[in-house]
Amino acid sequence: MTTNKAKDRKQKTIEKQQNIIDALKDHGAKVYGDLDSGQFPKFSIPSRSVSNIVYDKKLRQYILGNSAALRSSRNSSQLRSFTQLMWLAFFANRLTHEKKSSTLRDVYYSSQAFAIEFEDQSESDNIIVDLEAVLSKPREDFHIFPEERSSIFGDLNIEYTIPGYEGKRMNLSNHPDGYAIGPSLTTAELVDTSAEIVIAIEKGGLFTRFVEEQVDKKFKSIIINTGGQAPRSTRTLLKRLHDEMGLPVIVLTDGDVYGEHIAMVIKSGSANAAHLRELTVPDAKWVGVWATDIEKFKLPTIPMTESDIKRCYDLQSDPRYQEGIWKKELDVFLKIKRKAELEAFSKYGLTNITDKYLPQKLELAKSL
Amino acid sequence: MSSIKEKFNQISPSEFFYRNRDLAGFSNPTRSLYTAVREFVENSLDACDQKGIFPDVHMSIKAVDPEKPDPKPYILTVKDNGPGIESKHVPLAFGTVLYGSKFGLKQARGMFGLGATMAILYGQITTNKPVLVKSSTDGKIQDEFELLLDIQKNKPVILKHTTKEVTKQGLSVSICLEGDYAKAGSKIKDYVYETSLITPYATITFDDPKGEKFHYSKIVNEMPPAPTIIRPHAHGIDVETIRRMMVESQFEIPNIDDVMVEKVRKDLGLAKNNLAFTGIMDKAKKRWKTLSRPVRVVISLMSFLKMDFDKLNKIRIDDIDVPNKKLYFWDFGDSQSKSVDMDPESQYYKQLTGTVQGETLTTFLTKRFQRIGPSTAVKFAEFAGFKPEKRMGSMTNEELVKLSDSLQKFEGFLSPDPSCLAPLGEAPLKKGINKFFTPDFCEVIQRPASAYSGFPFIVEMGIAYGGAIRPGGPHVYRYANRIPLLYDEGSDVVLKVVNDTDWSRYKVKGDPPFVLVTHICSTRIPYKTVGKENVADRQEIERELRLGLQFLSRKLAAYMSKRGQAEMAKKRANLYAKYLPLIAQFCTEVAGKTKEPNYKKLLEEEIIVDDKQS
Repeated sequence: MTTNKAKDRKQKTIEKQQNIIDALKDHGAKVYGDLDSGQFPKFSIPSRSVSNIVYDKKLRQYILGNSAALRSSRNSSQLRSFTQLMWLAFFANRLTHEKKSSTLRDVYYSSQAFAIEFEDQSESDNIIVDLEAVLSKPREDFHIFPEERSSIFGDLNIEYTIPGYEGKRMNLSNHPDGYAIGPSLTTAELVDTSAEIVIAIEKGGLFTRFVEEQVDKKFKSIIINTGGQAPRSTRTLLKRLHDEMGLPVIVLTDGDVYGEHIAMVIKSGSANAAHLRELTVPDAKWVGVWATDIEKFKLPTIPMTESDIKRCYDLQSDPRYQEGIWKKELDVFLKIKRKAELEAFSKYGLTNITDKYLPQKLELAKSL
Repeated sequence: MSSIKEKFNQISPSEFFYRNRDLAGFSNPTRSLYTAVREFVENSLDACDQKGIFPDVHMSIKAVDPEKPDPKPYILTVKDNGPGIESKHVPLAFGTVLYGSKFGLKQARGMFGLGATMAILYGQITTNKPVLVKSSTDGKIQDEFELLLDIQKNKPVILKHTTKEVTKQGLSVSICLEGDYAKAGSKIKDYVYETSLITPYATITFDDPKGEKFHYSKIVNEMPPAPTIIRPHAHGIDVETIRRMMVESQFEIPNIDDVMVEKVRKDLGLAKNNLAFTGIMDKAKKRWKTLSRPVRVVISLMSFLKMDFDKLNKIRIDDIDVPNKKLYFWDFGDSQSKSVDMDPESQYYKQLTGTVQGETLTTFLTKRFQRIGPSTAVKFAEFAGFKPEKRMGSMTNEELVKLSDSLQKFEGFLSPDPSCLAPLGEAPLKKGINKFFTPDFCEVIQRPASAYSGFPFIVEMGIAYGGAIRPGGPHVYRYANRIPLLYDEGSDVVLKVVNDTDWSRYKVKGDPPFVLVTHICSTRIPYKTVGKENVADRQEIERELRLGLQFLSRKLAAYMSKRGQAEMAKKRANLYAKYLPLIAQFCTEVAGKTKEPNYKKLLEEEIIVDDKQS
């Protein structure tokens, strides 16, 4: 059964790689053909401008509309970015062929070896997103990962698929610091787990506390530190834990508008990634810290800043914040104009959050 | 009051300038050396301009003792190929203050030839050495003078005068003066350089004390038209000037001596035969129209005296008392003063009053001023409240002040005549700028003549961009009457106008390599200070500068956008050449091919497209 499943997965992974390689080859051949016949090659890139980002209620995430921008090498102002994109396709092709991984930063520095200039990393990051849009695939598929800053801990057995480690297994509760969510983990087979829930938490400090307090054992959970806004590889992993292992996902953040949005991005993606699917966990639940919790648990607070308040108003016009707790909590934040950190529970003892708050919220999550 | 006897001494002009030499730019060794250079070079250029000679000016500065530290004595020599000065005028021209040939209203670099004498004076004061003048007016004989100036008496002292044969005409002046070349050197070099830009028809050479030679050959082969001397404009006049002009408008009663009598007899055709009084009068009546004014005056006097030529020889006219209609004379025979009445109805009486009291107001205006016709003169008389036939000689002081005020205020005069101005002209200016700066772009403009307070002026401007021009512009080169203005540029009207300009509006950005040349020509430049280095912001001048600059800036903007397009095209071609090979290289591997696509024809095509565009 397991071996069948593993074979299945392996097959799927190989297929995925082949799809990428085929797509890249198609584009490369088209550019080659254009050049050879005296035509200026061009790419059609789905437009990521605000006007082309629409909310799909059925998918429960932002998606791109139908408009696309043409990037032509004929246009001298686009020639540079066209070349950058072509180079990235070339680089991604090599990575995928040779099963090597790279990071956003690594891409930026690698460009210099090929006489490709990027002003800064954000320019190269943008080109990577362009290629994602062209291929309609997340960059992880062509082996480009973010710098690891989020981590995972809990009873989960995985089996690596990356070259040199194929078949090697690992239990993610062996190391109390947790495991960095990098390329090898994101592409690993999820073999089995005793956990019944995934707890995503915004902060590294609390993540360590949770491990120390053995939240994984007490609540049969896998703990994931998102390190602020969850990186895409982490979101991919969350999705796989939910879809493949059937685990519910709950999100625990600071009690402010940014925390609320961190949870929302895990649930329904970001406008930045509107060109991608399969990055969302629509069933993920935000369990706190809510604005209403601040009152309820008498948490010490600090006043919201101007930009906090502005952010509240911005989100009020977001279609995803028009109902349920999302709308309710946002309104309360705006009303009280105060916010609380996860650490605020320390006022009542260092373990207060795991002893008192978390059990309540886990109970509550079942009914959400 | 009476106990203190104040003593009033008259001082000579040379003494006055000696005491006030700061005013003329001889305040210290640095400034003095620079000013002396300017005065002599400008005199040479003016002299050549006036005679239509292409100037060839050679200037040299040599230290008397090169080992001494500055300030120290230098020998300054300026030699030209101009008309020279006649031998008899040389001592006065170089040995007295206020002797010059430049009185008269037209544009010239210097006003009265004063500066050169000041330089000589300064040299004499600081080194006690004479001035050496070599002059040849005919290109055959050259007079050589060594002169000193007697400051108290304002008289030249000739130490030596020799002549020798030469082959070229021209003037050479050499003085010894205390100067500081270490400090003045860069200004003097700038001066020579900038002067040669605004006088592209001149050849200027400068040998500096360190043995460096600066040579600027003439660039253009046509001289700008020489200015004409014109009468003053009514708006630019004051009471003192009117007084001086009136002296010219009144006529002296001729001295009745033997020579005069002989002339009258000859003009009447009576050189040989003598006639009685009535016969003379008849003859005069018949020939009246052909007679000259002095002869008419003598005849008129004779008509009241009722004397023939013999009697006339024995008297002396003392006074013509017009208001009391009496003629006073001294009779040598009786040795006493006598008088006769004059009949105011007689035509001879009018002749005499006309002579004594000068011209009528209308004649004075039409004859002495520019651009005033008889009808304007009459209108003005009405405006000022004078009778048109009012004699100038009969005006009281109050009336003269009123006349002067009214001349300033009356708006019916035509604007001043610019024919007395000598702008360089657009073509020579452009050639000069192109030669000097070798720019990528150059445009010039000569604004139409305008006037401020009765003084006509013309503004000429040039703008140049790119090429060999150093960045950090605009570099402004200011000229007034073909003189470069080097000092005090901060407070100058030109700088004001330039600084008011928002260059980014004309597509000039960053650290632009660009030059502006402005030339103001006027019979009187409104300098702010006696140093003659910055022009005051007269509204009319500012306006002309502004309009000129706007015109040039628009031309520059048009050029800049063209230049921008060309640069863009070039840049684009470079871009394709840089990026297409990369695209080819990458797509070859991605497409799984081994041979690169043939993108070369794409590059060639792009270049052809660019050529068509530009």
